[in-house]
Amino acid sequence: MAQLIDAIVYAIPYLMSGLGMTLLVSLIVVVLSLVAGVVLGVGLIYGPLSLRWLIRLLTDSIRGIPILVLIFAVYYGLPPLGLNLSSFWAAVLALTLFKTAQVIEYTRGAVSSIPRGQMEAAKSIGLIFGQRLRYVIFPQATRRFLPPWVNGVTDAVKGSALVSLLGVVDLMQAINQVIGRTYEPMPLYLLGAVMYFAINYSLSSLSRVLERRYAYIKE
Amino acid sequence: MTENSKRREFLKLGMGGAVLAGAAAAVALSAQKAVAQSAENSLLRTVIDRGHLIVGTGSTNAPWHFEDEAGKLVGMDITMAKILAKGLFDDETKVEFVLQDPAQRIPNIVTGKVDITIQFMTMSANRAQLVAFPRPYYVEGVSLLSSPNGKMKSFEELTAGGANTRISILQNVGAEEAVHKVLPEAQVMQIDTQANVIAALEAGRVDGAAVDLSTVKWLVARNPEKYADSGFAWESMLYGAALRQGDPDWLNFVSTTFEIAMFGNDTALYDAAFLEYFGTKVPDRKTGFPSH
Repeated sequence: MAQLIDAIVYAIPYLMSGLGMTLLVSLIVVVLSLVAGVVLGVGLIYGPLSLRWLIRLLTDSIRGIPILVLIFAVYYGLPPLGLNLSSFWAAVLALTLFKTAQVIEYTRGAVSSIPRGQMEAAKSIGLIFGQRLRYVIFPQATRRFLPPWVNGVTDAVKGSALVSLLGVVDLMQAINQVIGRTYEPMPLYLLGAVMYFAINYSLSSLSRVLERRYAYIKE
Repeated sequence: MTENSKRREFLKLGMGGAVLAGAAAAVALSAQKAVAQSAENSLLRTVIDRGHLIVGTGSTNAPWHFEDEAGKLVGMDITMAKILAKGLFDDETKVEFVLQDPAQRIPNIVTGKVDITIQFMTMSANRAQLVAFPRPYYVEGVSLLSSPNGKMKSFEELTAGGANTRISILQNVGAEEAVHKVLPEAQVMQIDTQANVIAALEAGRVDGAAVDLSTVKWLVARNPEKYADSGFAWESMLYGAALRQGDPDWLNFVSTTFEIAMFGNDTALYDAAFLEYFGTKVPDRKTGFPSH
């Protein structure tokens, strides 16, 4: 037991920059996919038919591709088209594409679950489209959007471990680096599990706070 | 001869000389151009012009490529990269390492992401259809790691154990046969990762762990109280760097530089790394007949 704790304490400093990388990748992916996903999600519901088809095609094809294939497709597929991204940005782009497709669906689900009458009522009092979304639809849709989205964020954190396949040293790869030197896997896997859990548990706690914050509208 | 005709003769000579000189210059120029053309397509020229070498390797496998306690990338593969940089720029630090998964070793060469892959790569005829291998820099083998506190420590003791001997090995096609080749009766336990193959030995679940010879040497040199070398290796395989096909200048340069680092006049880097990572000195080189 003392040996196990020693091995864990020994490893912690080596994992810090990896942990930072995992948080950075997750943050970029979550923020970019949130913005792109909500915009395209609204486009999917209210846009003209051609745009709706385009977005539908995008989400369905991306959601149908395993994320691993998507990562390698971006990494090896873009350079021949003249876009030579570094390992880091190739991995971030692939993860963002994947997450965006999911956020589009969360948005579509949340917004289209709001009764039509709300939109019609907002029109009848003379609100323009932007105002209808901002003051009427989004406040109600947000609390339906939050639970699946936070779930998706924890998935993004765990999924970020895939960046190590392109040689980006995230938390998982930092763990493998220490194991590669010490040949003692168990303490490191244990430590890794605790660190991922700590991140994701904080996120789900935060989500409960957010859900309470947006629960003020009574139906 | 009049003064005038003398002058004419002289001018003729001068003109002839000029023509000759011009022709010579033209020949020299086109020769230079030809050299530049043949080298222009070669990575050798690209790398020299760029001023640093881009090497694909890993960071999770001691003693080949791993981060030391200071977080610096070290290992035998890393040393081979430094040897190349020294040969190219007379400066072993002019290397950029691109960390890659073992599965990326060949794709990253083919797509030009790296100039060369140096990542404990076994040379095989299959792989040689896709990439070019310079001369090998290590002969790897399978060896048996044992525990100094266990009841079977040497290869003789493991053999004498017969059907009671338990051996762990990395899950692989032919793993069972590889062990049975030298210990025909032993019980074979196939395990998922190299680190866990060794963990099984430490936990006392097996009497010996069948791992790479270099791993045995590395672990025993670092932890003699925890691990012992049973003193037997079999199934040799060649470890080599890999680079793109169709580039004889680059291939030849790497081979020559490795050759010099292992057998020639500049062996300091190779020798020091060999001693550090495998715990033994490089055997003495013999002068005279080139036997390597």
